[in-house]
Amino acid sequence: MANRGEIACRILRACREAGHPSVAICASNDAGSLFTEMADQVVLLNGETISETYLDQEQIIQAAKDTGATAIHPGFGFLSERAEFANAVQSAGLTWIGPSALAIEKMGDKMTARQTMRAAGVPVIPGEEVEEVDETKSLNALRDASTRVGYPLLLKASSGGGGKGMRAVHDPADFDQAAAGARREAVAAFGDGRIYIERLLSGSKHIEIQVLADQHGRTIHLGERECSVQRRHQKVFEEAPGPTMNPELREAMGQAAVAAAEAVNYVGAGTVEFLLAPSGEFFFLEMNTRIQVEHPVTELVTGVDIVREQLRIAEGEPMSCEPLMLRGHAIEVRLYAEDAANGFLPSIGPLAVFRPPEGPGIRLDTGVREGDDVTPNYDPMLAKLIVWAPSRPEALQKMRRALDEFVVLGTTTNLEFLRDLCDATPVVNGSTTTTTIDELWPDGWNPPAAPLLEEAALLVAASAETLGLHRYQTSGAAASTNNGPVSPFTTVQRRFP
Amino acid sequence: MQHTFASKEGPIEVTLTKIDEAFVLEGHELRQHNRGRLHLTLRDGRTCLAHTAKVGDVWWVHLNGRTYKWERIEPGSSGAEDEGGLVAPMPGKVLEVLVSEGDSVEAGAPLMVLEAMKMEHRIVASSDGIVTSVHFNAGDQVAQGATLLDLE
Repeated sequence: MANRGEIACRILRACREAGHPSVAICASNDAGSLFTEMADQVVLLNGETISETYLDQEQIIQAAKDTGATAIHPGFGFLSERAEFANAVQSAGLTWIGPSALAIEKMGDKMTARQTMRAAGVPVIPGEEVEEVDETKSLNALRDASTRVGYPLLLKASSGGGGKGMRAVHDPADFDQAAAGARREAVAAFGDGRIYIERLLSGSKHIEIQVLADQHGRTIHLGERECSVQRRHQKVFEEAPGPTMNPELREAMGQAAVAAAEAVNYVGAGTVEFLLAPSGEFFFLEMNTRIQVEHPVTELVTGVDIVREQLRIAEGEPMSCEPLMLRGHAIEVRLYAEDAANGFLPSIGPLAVFRPPEGPGIRLDTGVREGDDVTPNYDPMLAKLIVWAPSRPEALQKMRRALDEFVVLGTTTNLEFLRDLCDATPVVNGSTTTTTIDELWPDGWNPPAAPLLEEAALLVAASAETLGLHRYQTSGAAASTNNGPVSPFTTVQRRFP
Repeated sequence: MQHTFASKEGPIEVTLTKIDEAFVLEGHELRQHNRGRLHLTLRDGRTCLAHTAKVGDVWWVHLNGRTYKWERIEPGSSGAEDEGGLVAPMPGKVLEVLVSEGDSVEAGAPLMVLEAMKMEHRIVASSDGIVTSVHFNAGDQVAQGATLLDLE
């Protein structure tokens, strides 16, 4: 298991269910993390930084060899979309649980992917690729291209993902600063500063199609997920099926996704992302050649265990999926350690209380438990809360109830933001687009005022102080890296709470 | 049963009264049931379960899907924050300093770019003013809460 956190837990559980003994790897700052307890063996990696640990290909392959592992699952992020790692794994005589290195390469370089898709007849967003690598020359070429593409536009890193190296530009006057920022972020995150430009199709929905392909020539799609609700280009709210989808469009997009996968001889689980314009036209955005964060919503409405299928396909077996049949509605929200009321800045602290909701139709995929510390070392996503119900309105009701039940104390999270989102008109009526959050809260989100509750909370605090309740002892490690929670009084914009 | 908590308007003195087994404040009542569970009855009659934990000096309170933080001020300590400084909201690295000492800036103007968790964050001016000092250069690592610049 060449990953950590929530996705490592998800995959290690699947291995346990399938009867495959598993090996986890972990950096020293992850020793004792939840995922390490789900593996049959744990290999402690040498090194401090992410590059020296979860990105150290040689060390990871050596760990596999030393423990007698026969296959490597990369999860998402880290090395999951590094073609050279897929190659190295296979050269070492191990099975790579994922698509071929060539498929990763063709899709991983977003500019090559756009060219491949054009050739395969899959519609791509109007835009231009700039292959220039020299900083000054590339910025000049981008500026030239920007005038041809037109405003508003999006700058994207060719090696990008997760919103890194991405900038929206609405005014030509902002272009130079945005391009320099995107390039710098891309160089820092991916070691590749190449940027391409896409026209910004405002009012569009982000619709993605889950595909599966086995080694017996079968490529299928598992329907769509709508993930339009994003902040800083990171998804926060995902659902299946898409609330405005119809069977004809699903079939058309599904077939385009299958064509995209077949164009690169895809094997395994992958996701083809599209923008669905208000006109009803759809455009290829990119293909993620790995398991995706939001895969659970598809699992809940299709009944397919996508990770089990990945394992089956990697073993050379045919996939076990029946013809596609969608049932009910599933919604996922991502619980981030972040201060939604303060520009969604990441937060850290102890999980003094971590009490997820329970009950019918609720699934929690997480890599943390009560008592853990949220550190700045890794991604701030703490958990994914997924609900299933027979209809979309009931799924939303269930999500509201689940979020109200979710107690996280000691670290600031986006729970209240997610809860507020469930009441927002575009979410309620399914008309969300990629700009919904910015439109709903143009000046940033603040929790709805509830003075009575705030006052009652003061009663609880004062009573608890009097009674001497629930004093949380931070661990030594936590005390040395932070001074407790991010105080609302020391944040830059000084909003409270 | 008197405690002092910090708020944006300054310290708040809280005086609890105890009626039967309930703590009472402004008409809200809190009862501790078996195994320490806290049952709250709001002034408007709504009831809910409260969860709470103290981390450092801060009481975290979860009520009805909302989470509140109340920082207790120990008797004798000031609890006041330095008002003029702009502080790092996260540990991270300074990528860019966009202003120099003596610059006059408008509220909302970008002052510094920080990188934390591989994302860039802009530090913006909280009000109109003059940059009186810049404490870090591009490339410097900053701790959470470190004062980055002073603005007057």
